[in-house]
Amino acid sequence: MGLKDKYAIVGIGYTPQGRVPDRTSLSFHLEACVNAIADAGLRREDIDGLICYRFFPPASNEGPVTPYLVAQHLGLSPTYLSQDANCSRSHIQHAVGVLEAGLCNYVLLSYGHNAFSSDSMRRMLMERNTDDAVFGHFGAVAGYSLAAQRAMHTFRTGPETWKHIAVGQRKWANLNPVATMYDRPMTFEDYYNARWIVEPFRLFDTCLMTDGGRAIVITSAERACDLKHPPVLIMGVGQHDPSNDVHQATHLAGPTGAKKASEMALKMAGITLKEIDACEIYDCFTYTVEITLQDYGFFGPGEGEEWFRDGKIEPGGRMPVNTSGGQLSEGYYMGLTPLSEAAMQLMGRCGERQLGQTTNTKSPEIILCSDNGGILQTHSCIVLRRS
Amino acid sequence: MSEYNKPLPNINGDSREFWTGCREHELRFQKCKACGHVRWPPSIICPMCYSKETQWIVAGGKGKIYTFVVYHVAYHPGFEKDLPYVVADVELEEGPRLLTNIVGCWPDEVKCEMLVEVTWEDITEEFSLPKFRPYW
Repeated sequence: MGLKDKYAIVGIGYTPQGRVPDRTSLSFHLEACVNAIADAGLRREDIDGLICYRFFPPASNEGPVTPYLVAQHLGLSPTYLSQDANCSRSHIQHAVGVLEAGLCNYVLLSYGHNAFSSDSMRRMLMERNTDDAVFGHFGAVAGYSLAAQRAMHTFRTGPETWKHIAVGQRKWANLNPVATMYDRPMTFEDYYNARWIVEPFRLFDTCLMTDGGRAIVITSAERACDLKHPPVLIMGVGQHDPSNDVHQATHLAGPTGAKKASEMALKMAGITLKEIDACEIYDCFTYTVEITLQDYGFFGPGEGEEWFRDGKIEPGGRMPVNTSGGQLSEGYYMGLTPLSEAAMQLMGRCGERQLGQTTNTKSPEIILCSDNGGILQTHSCIVLRRS
Repeated sequence: MSEYNKPLPNINGDSREFWTGCREHELRFQKCKACGHVRWPPSIICPMCYSKETQWIVAGGKGKIYTFVVYHVAYHPGFEKDLPYVVADVELEEGPRLLTNIVGCWPDEVKCEMLVEVTWEDITEEFSLPKFRPYW
C-alpha cells in the first residue's frame, strides 16, 4: 500500500500534568505545541497544519478552545486547520491525508484540557443534549458500563479480567516519574476495595481526569531524516466507525470497530500480530483495553483473563501494554496518550520504563496503537515502527 | 406534581409523537411503510431503505433487558435520592431498544435478558416516562 512508512512522528510535547490548578485549557494546548515543535527541532514557520482534538464544554471562566485560538496564540496561520467535534478519531488519517496530498509539510496534533481542576467536565455532564438524562443516564462511564455489562453476559469477563489491566498499567506508571499515579502502587485488593462508580465499573476501571496537554508533530519520512530524533514511521493506519449509539449498537461486546480497523492497519503495514512488540491502547476504561485487544485477535472472546494473567502486560511481561501508565494511570490526552508513548518508546527516550533490557521486555521495533471515541462508535488503529 | 427536579424530555419535530404517546401511556414507534422496519430513535427517513413513508404503531410494552448498569454516583442532583438506581437498554418485542430505568426490584436482581414490561411514571402534567419492571 502506498502510505506505508511514508510519514513519521518526529516530535512530542508534554506539559505538567495531573492536578495543575489555575491553568486554562488553552494554556495546555500552547505549552504542549511549543514543546512538540522544539522537540522536533523545528521552528514555528515550519508548521503549516494544525489539527486539534475536540474541546469539551469550557470551564465557566474560559471560552471555547477553538483551533483558531490555538493557532492565534502560537502565531501560526496554517494551510490546513481542523478540529473534531464529537470524538471521531481520524486525526492521524487527517494528518497523513493532507501530507500525502501535498497541502502541508509539518502537521501538529494537539490536545489540552483542565479537566481535573476546572468545572468543565461537570458542565459537560449537566449540559445534556439527549433524552438519556431524563432517565438519569449521563456520560461515558455509564455508556461503557452498558457495553461492559453486555460483554459480561456474552462471554467470560468482568472485574477478574479488568483487575489485571488496572494493576498492570499502574506498575508501568510507577516507573514513570511524570505519571499522575507514579507514587501510588496498586494491588488487586486495592482494585476490589475501590468504590463503585457505575456498576460494573469501580473507580480504577475508569481513566483519570487530567489537567495537561500533549502534542505531536508529523511530517514525511524524507523530511524527518533531517530532524533531531530518530523518526517513528507510520507503517499502517485503519479505521472503522460502527457509529450506532449505545441504545441501538450491536457491537458493545464486539466485534467493535477495532476488528476492521486493525485488519486494515496490519494489511497496510504488511505484518501480523506476531510482529508486534508492545501495544499502546486507548484506555478510557479497563474494558476498552480488553475488547480492543480481543478484537485485534490477541485472544478469543472470554480468554482475556487467562491472557492477561501472570503479568503479561506489565514490566517484564511478554506483551507490554500502555507503558506510560496509560489514561488509567498516567494522564488523559485522548489518542495522544497512546501515540506519544509509542513514539517515545520507539525513539528510546523512556528512561526507567524503557522497553528492552531496562524492563526485561522485548526491544521494541513495532508498536500497535489504538484510538477510540464515542461509546465504541469510532476506532482507529495505527502501526508504528522504529526507523 | 410540583418540585420535579430532574431533566425533562426535549420536544422536537422528530420526538413529539413519541412523548405525546407517553402522556397517553402509549409507546409509539415509527414503522416504515416500505420495508416494515420499526425504528428508534424517531427520524424522517428509514435507515434501512431510505423511504420517508412511515406509520406510527403502538408497542405492546413488553421486552427484555439487553444490558444495564447500576449508578452509584449521581451526576445530577435530581437523582441523588434514587441511588443506587438502574439504567437499562430494553429490547422491545417490536425491535427497538429503549434506554430507560428498571423499577420494582432491587438493583442486584437485574440481569441481562430478564423479561420486563412498561410501567408509567407521570412526572408532570405534560410528561409521563416509560419505565420497566420485571414480570414473570
